[in-house]
Amino acid sequence: MALLDVRNVTKRFGGLTAVSDVTMSVAEGSISAIIGPNGAGKTTFFNLLTGIYVPDVGSINFGGRSLIGLRPDQVNAAGMSRTFQNIRLFPGMTVVENVMVGMHSRLNVSLVRTITRLGGFNKQEKRVRERASDLLNFVGLSGQGDEICRNLPYGAQRRVEIARAMASDPKLILLDEPTAGMNPNESKDAMELFRKVRDERGVTVVLIEHDMKVVMGISEHITVLNFGQTIAEGTPKEIQSNEKVVEAYLGRHAAGSSRAEGEA
Amino acid sequence: MTTAQSTPTIKISLMGRIMAPIRAVLDNPVLAVPALIVYMIAVTLILLGLNRSDPLFPLKSSLAFPPLVLSPFIVLSAKIDWRFKGLLVLAALFIFLPLIGMYDSSYFELVIQICIFSGLALGLNIVVGFAGLLDLGYVAFFAVGAYLWAMFTSPVDTYFKVNNMLVSANYFYLFIFLGVAVAATGGILLGLPVLRLRGDYLAIVTLGFGEVIRVLAVNFNSPTNFTNGSQGLDGVLRPTVPPFIPDIIMRVDQTLGIPISNANTLAQQMLFYLVAIVIIACIIVIARRLDDSPIGRAWTAIREDEVAAIAMGVPLVRMKLMAFAMGASFAGAIGVLYAAKQSFVSPESFSLNQSIGILAMVIVGGIGGIRGALFGACVVTLLNLQVLKNLSLQINNFKNIDAVMPPWLVAVILAVVGGWILWKLLKALWSFANRWFGNAKQAEQVRVVVWGVLVAAIALLTLQGSGFRFDDWPAQLEPAKYERLVFGILLIMMMIFRPSGLLPEPRRKMEMTAAKAEAEDGAIGGGG
Amino acid sequence: MVSTRATTDRTITEWLYRYVLFPIGQMLVFIVGAGVVVMVLAYLLAFLFPEPRPNIVLVDQINRQLPGMLIAGVSLGFVYAMIALGYTLVYGVLKFINFAHSEIFMFGSVIGYEVMRRISDAGAIQSWSPPLLIIVVVSVSMVCAGLLAVLIERVAYRPLRGAPRLVPLISAIGVSLLLTDAVRAIEAITRNEFNLTYPTNDLAWLKTPLPLAFGETTVNVRITSIIIIIGAVLMLVAMNYFVNGTKLGRGIRAVSQDMTTASLMGINVNFMISLTFFVGGSFGGAAGSLFGMNVGTVTPYVGFTPGIKAFTAAVLGGIGNVTGALLGGLALGMIESFLNGILVYFPALGQRYTDIFSFSVLILILIFRPSGLLGERVDEKV
Repeated sequence: MALLDVRNVTKRFGGLTAVSDVTMSVAEGSISAIIGPNGAGKTTFFNLLTGIYVPDVGSINFGGRSLIGLRPDQVNAAGMSRTFQNIRLFPGMTVVENVMVGMHSRLNVSLVRTITRLGGFNKQEKRVRERASDLLNFVGLSGQGDEICRNLPYGAQRRVEIARAMASDPKLILLDEPTAGMNPNESKDAMELFRKVRDERGVTVVLIEHDMKVVMGISEHITVLNFGQTIAEGTPKEIQSNEKVVEAYLGRHAAGSSRAEGEA
Repeated sequence: MTTAQSTPTIKISLMGRIMAPIRAVLDNPVLAVPALIVYMIAVTLILLGLNRSDPLFPLKSSLAFPPLVLSPFIVLSAKIDWRFKGLLVLAALFIFLPLIGMYDSSYFELVIQICIFSGLALGLNIVVGFAGLLDLGYVAFFAVGAYLWAMFTSPVDTYFKVNNMLVSANYFYLFIFLGVAVAATGGILLGLPVLRLRGDYLAIVTLGFGEVIRVLAVNFNSPTNFTNGSQGLDGVLRPTVPPFIPDIIMRVDQTLGIPISNANTLAQQMLFYLVAIVIIACIIVIARRLDDSPIGRAWTAIREDEVAAIAMGVPLVRMKLMAFAMGASFAGAIGVLYAAKQSFVSPESFSLNQSIGILAMVIVGGIGGIRGALFGACVVTLLNLQVLKNLSLQINNFKNIDAVMPPWLVAVILAVVGGWILWKLLKALWSFANRWFGNAKQAEQVRVVVWGVLVAAIALLTLQGSGFRFDDWPAQLEPAKYERLVFGILLIMMMIFRPSGLLPEPRRKMEMTAAKAEAEDGAIGGGG
Repeated sequence: MVSTRATTDRTITEWLYRYVLFPIGQMLVFIVGAGVVVMVLAYLLAFLFPEPRPNIVLVDQINRQLPGMLIAGVSLGFVYAMIALGYTLVYGVLKFINFAHSEIFMFGSVIGYEVMRRISDAGAIQSWSPPLLIIVVVSVSMVCAGLLAVLIERVAYRPLRGAPRLVPLISAIGVSLLLTDAVRAIEAITRNEFNLTYPTNDLAWLKTPLPLAFGETTVNVRITSIIIIIGAVLMLVAMNYFVNGTKLGRGIRAVSQDMTTASLMGINVNFMISLTFFVGGSFGGAAGSLFGMNVGTVTPYVGFTPGIKAFTAAVLGGIGNVTGALLGGLALGMIESFLNGILVYFPALGQRYTDIFSFSVLILILIFRPSGLLGERVDEKV
């Protein structure tokens, strides 16, 4: 059964239809990708999934439960976590604190216990800290927990974001252009990490990506969006040979010529 | 002290040069403790030595009292063992300050006011500093607490009096907790609809709420009289003084021989002081525990990036409500204390000015830090209630003795102020002129000329001037009435030069300065 | 923009339509609209509470007072609208609430007083022709208030551009406090008092109300109300032309759309921001001096309430939207004048609740429709 099942989701902003009638399903334990030219509605789609926007039409089911009408924090608690296209860490907090914030929905946050420090408060704090440093080890940032996020290099910030998203123990993690701005070597390391997320932690991964090497190298299923609509979906092989996709990326003329080349 | 570290190292300011040896003593683990003890004793002795009949008393007292009040902060900035720090702070709080208070009850009054504002600043700091919600109507919750106690104890013919609902003074301590509960409920009720709003809108709406509460307090005297309108409620009960306090006072009186004029007032003040210290201690403990917890981290996250915070599972409205309610509850407790201490409550005390004054405290001290909030409360309250008032008194004293400011002093003041303005003007002019000539030597010549003119002006004024007669000081220009001016200048100066405050919280400092620097780097043309 | 090949005739007609007829028509529509809403409300209230006090029939009272209330409402509405413009222009460009704008309004009213007092002290006030006097007073306060606004921006806001949102807001609060007490100090030193009464008492033409007949009832309309309405209409038309019809106005609009791009297109962003502050400030100043002439006595603390109400008006219309400020101001002025007239008949409430009502309007709009009547909803980009 599909972990995430999206049906006929549409979102309009004034006259602009950002996401139009998109249907998509993600199998548990898979790595899938959403690709498409800039402005195709990929990030809006993520925002619809995570409750930042509410779809005008359509249903989103996650693990057999509808996500429509849930606030972003409730979506997070339901087991879907995300990263952002332009990194949105809490820049003044330390790395480990960032990850600890990510655990919020899994904690018992009680005012009384916080003030009195009773009822296992200290135990919980200790557990949170341990889990955060475990996650930092997992993403390859061991020993950097006390750095202030702002001071970290770009690639490391991306890793912190992934650790923070993993902190809520999600079933599904949405990565929004996780390798943007990385060089080929860094991209390769990042791909390793995404695979590890799925293989070692059993978290289903959906990513938005522009780097075709990453997309083709890692994903088992690809959905292509253009002007808010699904224009193709399938395995990487199928997508590579799909005319519509080539057309969307390179324009009609190029598509024609590539077909001609293919026939020749 | 953090202040010294954060001054830019490029130019060593005059302030830095004065501070350096002091800093050296405070950093020396052996010297610091005796030096601090000597310091506190010395300041206390100076204060004890002041004479009210001295025409210069207001000036002297406002120079000598702040060093004593601020001594705990100096202790905390020293590099000594925390046990010594604790002992010295306790000594300041429980020996030196009460001693001065016994000697002159107006100092005690001031210390209690500082305590009250410290409590309010700590509460607002949770809302503004921790959660990043700018609340301009904070004083409303303070009013709720104050009116709660006042309405149930004032002998004025209100609804409560008429219906025999008044309570005895013994309920005071219970009402502190009730004040917490009622104000927190108020915070949640007000917060629920407005906390979805963006930062600057929230500021205006809370301002509106603060005003509404005040206007309601003015108008809730008809058809049923609850608040007695703008006349306010007087005769509010004070808690009964437990017998051990007069005992202590008697003993101190006997051993030290300090003449005590009004033992009853003093005992009452002592009680309020102790209650205030206990409340503030509780608030500090709670605030620290909140800061170091999932709640505190969630607040920081919200402050730094709301969208990311909610996407990471932080329930925004719930956490913001928590901050609002916590801040409100502290104000409620302090409000009960305030009503009892003043024994009079009226809408006047809960104006927008008051809210902004508390905000100024949080900002001056350093937004987001507990020590900063306390420091800000001390500095702003001292400025507002002591320095400005004493300046007014001093001017009156001068008027009474027909004092004339000597010509040289007038000359120096004029030269410093005028010279500063002239210098700024010339600098602007010169940076413009430099673009034409590209000559640094001429700048030096101009500087020499400016100094020459200034010195000449001082000399001329000293020789020719007749000095300034204080009788000519306009009656309307009374420093004590210009608290808004002081708050205004403080807020602007702090925002431009030290947005992170005088005792900054390291993280906040980064937030406030880094965003600015990024904007300056990134902006093109006029963007910076 | 207008086609370059158009004939001169057509261009002039179009110009007239675009910059004179259309804005005036818009104002008329807003006035009539707000007036109709208020009338409906009034009669609805009269229907619900026919006799709020013994022997007082609400319908009769409303019939008698309505024309007066409407005229007072329009003039109050224009004052709010002119102040609201300052908030909205600055918000449009810098996305920041200029908290100190209410004090610029106050400053305008004090300058208006100073000018009039000086003319009066010189013994010339009787000999000046009324229009000249008003034009001089209003334009001097416009220029002074505009310059003050520019100065404030330069000193207290520009160094903070790009800082977190709350930083300039706090600075603006500081400026607001500073200005009230600075003006108070200056007046205290120079005049030894700070309750400043406009020397309008001996001006017969200003004091004698103009009787206007509405059917059977005659309403005595204050001359100052008429001055405010005429002045505001003229200035609003001029402003519409400035913003929409001139190169400088285009610059301001460009900066408000996208500061960085505008600067890349060769627009001097700092100059445009200063200009925005000047225009907004001078409207605040004009409103201040007109308001001062109307109420007679001003103090350094006079800015707060009109300021927050004008802010309410700006938000009501949709902050950042110039037409919205006009609509919001007129609507709020109308409603307030109506409440002022009607609440007296309700013993439990009374006029003192008018201000609470304005605040409630503000809070309700911000909660339910933060984009205002004419604003567009702006979602934060994620």
